[in-house]
Amino acid sequence: MADIAEVLIIGAGASGAVAAKHLSEAGVSVVCLEQGREVSADEFYGDKPEWELMSQRLWHPNPNVRGLPTDYPIDTSESDVNPLMFAGVGGSTLIYAAHWQRFMPSDFRVRTLDGVADDWPFTYQDLEPFYDFMDVEMGVSGLAGDPAYPPMTPPPLPPLPIGRIGRLAAKGMNDLGWHWWPAPQAIPSRAYRGRSQCARRGTCMQGCPEQAKASTDLTHWPDAIASGARLVTGARVRDITVNAAGLATGAVWIDRDGVEHHQQAEKVIVCANGVGTPRLLMLSGGGQFASGLANSSGLVGRNLMMHPYAATVGYFDEPLDSWLGPAGQAIHSMQFYETDKSRGFVRGAKWNAMPTGGPLGMRSAYGGAPLEEAWGENLHRSTQKRFGHSFEWGIIAEDLPDPENRVVLDDTLTDSDGIPSPKIIYRNSENTEKLIAFHLARQKEAMEACGATSISTTTLMRDCGWHLMGTCRMGNDPETSVLDQWGTSHDVPNLHVLDGSTFVTSSGFNPTATICAIALRSVLHMIETRAEQRTAS
Amino acid sequence: MSPLTDDQRRTLARIGDELIPAALGMPSFTEAGAADAMTDHVLSLRPELLSDLQQALDGIAADEAPAAATARLNRDDPEALGVIGLVASSAYYLMPGVRAIMGYRGQEHRPAGEEEEHDYLRDDLLQPVIDRGPIYRDPGAG
Ligand SMILES: Cc1cc2nc3c(=O)[nH]c(=O)nc-3n(C[C@H](O)[C@H](O)[C@H](O)COP(=O)(O)OP(=O)(O)OC[C@H]3O[C@@H](n4cnc5c(N)ncnc54)[C@H](O)[C@@H]3O)c2cc1C
Ligand code: SF4
Repeated sequence: MADIAEVLIIGAGASGAVAAKHLSEAGVSVVCLEQGREVSADEFYGDKPEWELMSQRLWHPNPNVRGLPTDYPIDTSESDVNPLMFAGVGGSTLIYAAHWQRFMPSDFRVRTLDGVADDWPFTYQDLEPFYDFMDVEMGVSGLAGDPAYPPMTPPPLPPLPIGRIGRLAAKGMNDLGWHWWPAPQAIPSRAYRGRSQCARRGTCMQGCPEQAKASTDLTHWPDAIASGARLVTGARVRDITVNAAGLATGAVWIDRDGVEHHQQAEKVIVCANGVGTPRLLMLSGGGQFASGLANSSGLVGRNLMMHPYAATVGYFDEPLDSWLGPAGQAIHSMQFYETDKSRGFVRGAKWNAMPTGGPLGMRSAYGGAPLEEAWGENLHRSTQKRFGHSFEWGIIAEDLPDPENRVVLDDTLTDSDGIPSPKIIYRNSENTEKLIAFHLARQKEAMEACGATSISTTTLMRDCGWHLMGTCRMGNDPETSVLDQWGTSHDVPNLHVLDGSTFVTSSGFNPTATICAIALRSVLHMIETRAEQRTAS
Repeated sequence: MSPLTDDQRRTLARIGDELIPAALGMPSFTEAGAADAMTDHVLSLRPELLSDLQQALDGIAADEAPAAATARLNRDDPEALGVIGLVASSAYYLMPGVRAIMGYRGQEHRPAGEEEEHDYLRDDLLQPVIDRGPIYRDPGAG
């Protein structure tokens, strides 16, 4: 008997895991194909002395640096920013920092409020119940009442301590009369649903050895599998297949012995992230579509947004234990989040106050420094100045959608199965450059206000494409969007996309809370309308 | 088996001490004992560095003064200097003695006690933010 799944999910990261859990719990037969493998907590180096050494290679967020066969290499020769990700069960959440940020109401109405980009096909209020639900599933720690947001349901766990760096940063912000708040994180401040209390190792971005951080291999996959979802690892999808009627029929995938398989399905959900999803759609359709599957709008791969990241590091005389985790953020600020056109640009950014890690990590800050500054006696001088005595204010800069910023298929580069790799074409806009310059100038003031003895800035970090968004945007008009508000393709009614590709704008926030809330909203809608859909197809 | 020849290791020790000298209360690269087993350990975890390191060390003559060699590499072959510096500093900062002097216990297991939470509410650090009230734009309000 043919093995026909009701739903085939491609990618076992954040969105794929949310979809698999809820669909399988609703009794839907689910198969998920994931190119990576399962990773166990003892493979992470956060609890080993060699953590920093390994974070430069094996656990580097850039797949081109890791060079693992489970990754696909990416041509970044025409991009200002390198896209970052991880392939495995849990996807990029294995190495994310777990800042758990909602978007603001204004983020869904950018065209209406600021006259640029587009409005989303739903509002903050439409998404709010799903944000609440995800907070509980992930085990979010945070403090209710942040005046940067409308009143909301408190997260299930109390906030993690903000520590010495958070308190110092906060004092500076208070002096200036600027907003700050203990940061929300998908990291449990108490033991939660089988996960440990955060031990503050600060190695979250190289995997959490304590099994504390909410990565979806821990939060969602065990439930999905217990409910019958079938997860196939080492399964690299090459092609989403379609029939003569233009409906998706499943996908061709290659196992680690190089053998090709075809998984049939009634519906296909692509959750391969903002780069992997457009790549796969462009590869799909068996040559029936010149510009790829679901691409009558021509927008598959376009409007890539990656949140260019800039930062300010302040150095202080007092000991700050600034290797203590979580690695992501102690406090955040939305003082300069909303548009103020008098600044000469639109939109804004969230700031996050972060620790600065161990002694070796600080060494990378010397890249390009003159010999006598980087080495010799000055090595000790600068290490003593930085290590344990510094913190970073980072800027998550909102980049606006621009069709010229895009993912295309590379002409020559391939993955280990010979499948064409993606190429990124991405340039910072003038708006982004002005935005970053303004925010860096304010961060300098914030660092001075909290007593920094010296300050250094990074105007744009190249390895900062943590957030991959916009490449299959949602919208109501099939001519100007790829998906409808439920993540369903306008062209192929049984093909869905639920990852960060769906975003209409990028906001100035880390995206995963919103990716998961959108995935949940879409999947619950799919479950509600299941009977009608099955009869129709 | 050692990944470096005796000559390569001697060169690493000389250049390592030039890059990481004894100063400001810190031991030098060789005083810290980083040139031997810890260097091998680094190379076993990062085997992709080995051939570049060997090549960089082979390019330095036994009688070239360390200061002259680092200046030359910095000018003509910064990648070679980079790989020597990376291996040397990685081994150095992994030495338990070095970490002890720096007061670094590694990325510690230090779960927070409840008394560490909410300190900003107890001492009113957060109060001015609360007092200033909402700062978000309400799209409904236009
Ligand atoms: C270092 C780092 C730090 C981050 N920090 C934060 C943070 O603090 N807060 C936040 O909100 N976000 C953060 N992010 C982003 C966050 O990880 C992503 O937003 C989130 O994981 C995206 O979910 P996704 O489902 O879209 O894709 P992913 O989680 O990337 O999962 C996609 C999966 O699809 C698989 N796949 C792709 N192509 C194929 C194929 N052809 N066949 C089979 N499988 C395939 C991949 O292997 C992968 O496992 C961070 C990311 C990184 C890299
Ligand atoms: S800080 Fe907490 S979440 Fe991060 S790696 Fe450590 S224990 Fe895990």
